[in-house]
This record gives sequence, structure tokens and C-alpha cells, in this order.
Amino acid sequence: MSSDQDHLQETDTEARFEFKKEENAAVKSDKGLTEEVIRMISEDKDEPDWMLERRLRALEQYQNMPMPSDWPGMPDLSELDVEEIIPYIRPDVDKREGVDDWTELPDEIKDTFDKLGIPEAEKNALSGVGAQYESEVVYQNMQEQWEEKGVIFCNMDKAVQEHPELVKEHFMTTCVPPSDNKFAALHGAVWSGGSFVYVPEGVTVEMPVQAYFRMNSEGMGQFEHTLIIAEEGSEVHYIEGCSAPKYGTHNLHSGGVEVFVGEDAHVQYSTVQNWSKNTFNLNTKRAICEANGTMEWVSGSMGSKATMLYPCTILKGRGSTDTHITIAFAGEGQDIDTGAKVYHNAPDTSSTIESKSISKDGGRTNYRGLVHIADGAENSSTAVECDALMFDNESTSDTMPYMEIEESKVDVAHEATVGKIGDEDIFYLQSRGLDDDDAKKMIVAGFIEPITEELPIEYAVELNRLIELEMEGSLG
Amino acid sequence: MSAGTQVHANLTEEQVREISEGLDEPDWLTEIRLEALAALEDLEMPDVIRTPGRDWTNLHELDFESLVDPLNAAEDKDQVGPEEAEVLPWSEAVADHEDLLQEHFGSIVDPQENYLTALSTALFSTGTVIYVPEGVDAEDVTVRTEQNSRSLFNYTLVVTEESSSVTILERQSTGEEAAEQYYSGVVEVAAGENSYVQYGSLQNLSEDAYNFTVKRGVADTYATIDWIEGNLGTQLTKTEVSTTLSGDSSETQIVGAFYGHNDQHFDLDAKVWHRAEHTTADLVTRGVTDDVARSVYEGVQDVGADAWDTSSYQRENTLMLSDESEADASPKLIINNHDTEASHSATVGQIDAEDLFYMTSRGVDPRSARNMLVEGFFVPVLEEIDVDELREDLEELIGTRLRERE
Repeated sequence: MSSDQDHLQETDTEARFEFKKEENAAVKSDKGLTEEVIRMISEDKDEPDWMLERRLRALEQYQNMPMPSDWPGMPDLSELDVEEIIPYIRPDVDKREGVDDWTELPDEIKDTFDKLGIPEAEKNALSGVGAQYESEVVYQNMQEQWEEKGVIFCNMDKAVQEHPELVKEHFMTTCVPPSDNKFAALHGAVWSGGSFVYVPEGVTVEMPVQAYFRMNSEGMGQFEHTLIIAEEGSEVHYIEGCSAPKYGTHNLHSGGVEVFVGEDAHVQYSTVQNWSKNTFNLNTKRAICEANGTMEWVSGSMGSKATMLYPCTILKGRGSTDTHITIAFAGEGQDIDTGAKVYHNAPDTSSTIESKSISKDGGRTNYRGLVHIADGAENSSTAVECDALMFDNESTSDTMPYMEIEESKVDVAHEATVGKIGDEDIFYLQSRGLDDDDAKKMIVAGFIEPITEELPIEYAVELNRLIELEMEGSLG
Repeated sequence: MSAGTQVHANLTEEQVREISEGLDEPDWLTEIRLEALAALEDLEMPDVIRTPGRDWTNLHELDFESLVDPLNAAEDKDQVGPEEAEVLPWSEAVADHEDLLQEHFGSIVDPQENYLTALSTALFSTGTVIYVPEGVDAEDVTVRTEQNSRSLFNYTLVVTEESSSVTILERQSTGEEAAEQYYSGVVEVAAGENSYVQYGSLQNLSEDAYNFTVKRGVADTYATIDWIEGNLGTQLTKTEVSTTLSGDSSETQIVGAFYGHNDQHFDLDAKVWHRAEHTTADLVTRGVTDDVARSVYEGVQDVGADAWDTSSYQRENTLMLSDESEADASPKLIINNHDTEASHSATVGQIDAEDLFYMTSRGVDPRSARNMLVEGFFVPVLEEIDVDELREDLEELIGTRLRERE
């Protein structure tokens, strides 16, 4: 391991994510969801009227929609009381749009991100970094060379003010309308923070840009919105990391991600989610892909009490391509219900979904996925592969794929396997001198290898480290 | 439910009593029927798969008002088997084997599981009971049902005692055709210790008919239940074939073949519940969709927490012959025991262009080449069928349907 990753080694324990900070808010909304709360959020952000109107419309849709209940085997959301969640907390920082120098941040916030290793990663591997604390982005910076090429990487609230035309056109309109599902509507009403990424035609952003989302306060909800617009022939890799300390009451994370992949453009969206194990993580993420565009989703779900996340790609343009790589790890008390959705709406489109899940200590993982090939989407192909590894008999591993094929000139394949760690594999490694723990860790590392190799080395290391942390203690 | 009140308005306790009395049923059976009738109001239709914006099968379109005609059921039936086993029409079974019925009737398929099972329980007027005593090997049991009325409700019970075996071939077809007909069948199989049941079924009802069938078996220790399910007829079929592996080392195989054309809609479920140790399941389904037909397949492999050392495999392949047809599939794994080897796979595609090119380059005309490739596609399924008659009939029906095509 190179010295670049020292910060990961130094913080070897869960303490790296578990530490709590004194809550120090400038503005904090009441609990629950009322028109007043929405108006207060919008006013505090000094938003234009059109955004307030969108929020209020989304609130109305939220109130009129029932909670999802008829999904087979869906996670238990009964402990989630949205009315008890604090939707908006603005941390007490001087500059509203986030500073571009870590040293300008209040000590406790700076210390948070230091512990998470963000400034260190920025130096080594990233084109730009945004950091969100509670409901607001507190730090945002991008290397000058990209700014000169017209790349925009700023927080979403700032984008509403400075790029209203782009936001008006793309924000929760065609990609993820609030009517999509109850939590998308909730998100539309109370969203705050998140990233706005705009890459002009033909520009390749060579190193990834990253946003890090941190929830610190007890009982809060984080609703950041990420909007990525990649114009024709451009290329960008966006990385998102999330964490929160654990409190007695539940937190809610309900993010929204919208990605517009232009003709011949290439967007990779990678996320490693490590929310505390009392967080409900209910997100809506979707990409629309124009002709010959490529969308890649790489997701690692480690944290949360319950996750429901099915990143979706709409292959709208001829020859567009989608790749999903997803890994889920569910330990004690966790229900990670995640998967992928792909709509093939044009000819010559292709998709690949690769899912790996690991369940242990009574955790449950479920792959839930949908592939739809519309009539007329000739010469399209899709390959879905789901593999699950179970550690013990208290755990559950489900696989629920759905395939809707309306077109005959297609190639559709779905495969899934479930199994335990092979005794023979462990025996072999032990005979080479590894102890039982290390043997299991090595087997798991091998199992998720196809995912980690898609990530920049810093994140691959982090992912492996997280999984090792998850495995420690109960394997002996 | 609106459909419930609809049919309920047409159905009365008197009708149910009349059917039950006509079959000389004891009071407890009449009671089960009446309870099922009363439950209709609160019961839901069988589960169908729903994805955002789409129901894979719409059972609420069934117009029961005009479909169900409880007192005028008519059929032509053969129920034959070897002497060693008993193959009895329902009324004879009621007279001779009340204990057997009391033990098993409704124990595997809950009469009140859903609206359609309750309807079937309340109204069935014909049925077959197949009883195989200990150690007996019974081959060639044949049950043939030809429906000659607007609606027909059929019930079948198979009980095999320890170390016995039976092969059953069941067929449904339509005699007198009507504009719309409804066939409903419930099959319960109780496979005793170390017994073997192969239950083959060939559904070739009129293409105007609607069909709802549940076939479910429970396998005791070392028992094996093999299902073969051929679906060719009806405009709408909703079926479930399933096995509960409740005894250690029990096994099951579910083999399915379907061929949908015109506007046929097949909703086919194959399910297995692993509930004991060392159990094995193998689910294989192959089918073709043509014209504007639609196939919906749901496969479930459910491994319980106590099902140590489970092996469970599932394959589903659909061949689309027409661009207007649709093939939907959802193979599910529900795994609660880690000592499991489970896999499933599903594919959808069309005839391989290279295969077709190869055959035409050898001088086979394109139409024959296509027919041969489709027939070849079914071979892995046909090979699993032990009963020659069923295999040959299925082959012939597939061949005929292919040759009708341009």
C-alpha cells in the first residue's frame, strides 16, 4: 500500500465514521412537513419563486401518495416517521455557498472531514471536491484547469441562483419528476444542498470530482440533490461518499440524483454509502442516455438500517450503453434492498448489470431489478448477473429480477447464484498459512474484486477496508 | 372487491348445497364449500406481478358474471389406471374413502387462499382421487377431461403411501366450444415417505377459454414429486405448479413447456419451498411466444432457515418468434439458509441467425429450418418427460402449430 493511503490505515476503526460533533446550527427547521417548513427553507435559501412553487407542488404530491406497501419482501419502514424528522439544518458557517479553503471552516466541521480523509483524497486523486454538512454544502473547490474549460462544479443551491436556465430545464422535470414515488416527492419538497456538475461539449474531466455528505445531528433528514449534465462527447466521473454517526432516533436520507448523458458522452457515477445503522436510505437516482452515450453506475451499500435504492438508466438514444456494478453488504439489523433498473427504449442499446451481495449476522440483502426492452428496441442486449454470499444461517439473501421483453430481436440473459463461503476454499487458504479470519476476508475481497477494480484505487482500498471492518469481531 | 360482489350476486348457498348433495357429500365437505363461498367477498385475486405502471396479468378483466354457470357443468371424462391403484371419480371417493378426504382435502391448497381457489372449492362438481397403497407401482394413470359447458370446476387429489410410485397423465381439452369458457382446476398431491409421483399435464383447451389452475404437492422424507406442465390452449391461463419439500432428502422437478400464439396470455408460476434438510429442486421451463401472445413466468425458489444442505436450480428460456409478442420473466431466490447451492437463469431471444444461416446453407428451406430449430429448442424439456404418450403428444402439438405458420 502506498503512502497515499496512510490516512485510511491510521483510522482503522469504526470511530472514523462514528464520532459525533456538537450540533451547532444557524438555522434549524421544525420537525415534520408543513407548507410553513417548506416556505421557511426556501426563504432561508433566498430562492426564486419558481423553485418555491416546485417545492410546494412536490409537497402536495407527497401528501397525496400512499407509502409503498405492496412490494414483495420490501424492507420494514414502520419505524420511519417522516413527521419526526428534521428536514433542514443549516450549519453555522460564515459563507453561505461554501468556502474553497478547508482552513476557513469552523474547527469542528473541518475536523469531521479530516477524520473522513477528504482533504487528503482531494490532494491526491480528484479534480474537485464538495463537502456537505447537514443540509448545506460547506466546502467546494475545483482545480482551475477545469474551470477554464467551462466545467461547472458547484453546490446545487448556488446553481439555482447562478444557472437558473439549466436548472429550470433539468431539475426534477423529465428525469425524476416528484410524482415518480413518495420519497422522490418528499425530496422535491425539502431538498437542500447536493452537487451541480456541468461538462461542456467535448470536455473530458480526467480525474474524478467528489462530493461527501455527512449527517451529524440526531433525527435529521438529508435530502441533497445532484444534477449532472454531460454535453455531447464529454466525459466525467462523479464520486459520492456518505456517512453519519449513530444516534438513538432514526435519520432519513432521501437523495435525488439526475444525470443527463449527451450524445457520445460518458458519465460514471460511483458511490460508497456508509450511513449509520439507524438511517433509512431511500433514494431515487436516474440517468437519461442519448445516442451512443454511456452511463456507468458503481454503488457500494454498506451502511444504513434499511436501503431502498435502484439506480435507473433510460437508454433513450440509439446505441447507448448502461453498466451497473453494485455491491451490498448487510450485517446485523440491516436490510439492504438494492438493484438496478434499465429501460431500453431505442435500438442497438446494451446494458450489463453485475450485482454482488453479502449477508451476515442476520442481515438481509435483496437484489431487486427491472430490465424493460420496449417494442422497437431492436438488436438490444442485456446481461444480468447476481451473486450472493451468505455467512451464516441467521442471514437472508433474496434475488428478485423482473424482465419485460417486448422486442424479439434481442439477447436477454439473467443469471444468479447464492451460496456460502466454500469450506474447501477456506481449507486451502488455511493450508497456506492463513488463519480463518484472514481466509474469509481474502475470499470476500476476491468475491467483490469485479467491483473494486472499477473504482479509483483510493476508493477500492476504502471499500475493502469498510468490508473488513464489517467483518471484524464476529468472525473468530 | 367489485368482481367479488359481481359473482356473489349470481351464486347462492342453494346452488352450492345442490352440487354437494348431488355428489352425496358428508356435511363437513358441504361446510367447507359454504365457507369458501362466504369468504369470496373478502378474498383477493391471486397475486400477479406488478412493476411500475404495469400489471403483468390482469385477472380483473375476467367477466365472471357471464363465465360461471355452476349448475350446468358438462364434461366427458376418462379416469383409468392399473388395478393395483385406485383411480376414483369424486363421488365414489366420497363414498369409499371419506377418511382419506378428511385427512387431505384442502390441506395442501387452502380453499380460501384466494378468490379463485375459493370459487373452485365452492363450485367443483367433478374430480378424481388417485390412491396408491404402500409398495405399489402404478403406471399409466390417465385422467382426461373434455369440457362441454361454459364453466367447469375440477378437483384432483393424489395420495401415495410409503414406497409406492405412480405416473399420471392429465389432459384438459374442450369438446363443445362456446364464445367464452372458464376452466378451474385444483390439484393436491400428498407424496408419502420414499414414494414417487410424476404428474404430467397437458392443457389444450379452446383458445377462447380462460384457465385457472393450482397444482401443489407436499413431499415427505425421501419422496420425489416431478411435474410436467404443457400449456398450449386458452386465451388466458394463470397457473401455479409448486412443491413443498417438507421431508428430509425429498426432491422435486418442475418441467414446463408452452407455446403461445395469436393473442394468448400465459401466466405460469413454478415454485418450490425447501423446508427440510438435503432437499433438491430442479425447475426447467421452455416456451415460445408468437404473434401478439404474451408469456409471464414467475419462478420462486424459497429456502427456509432449517433447510440445510439445499440444492436448488432453475432455468427459463423463451424464444420469441414474432416481434409483436412479449415475454416477461421473474425468477426469484429467497434464501434463508446459507448452506445452500442455488442458481437461476433466464434468457429471452429469437432464433439464432447463425444457426438459421447454417441450415439454409445446407439446403434446408428457411421455413423447415426454422421449424426444426424451434422443435430442437424444446428438446431439453421433452427429454425430461418419462411418459412417452405425453412427450409424443406435446411434440406433435408443437409441430402442428409450427406447420400452421407461414
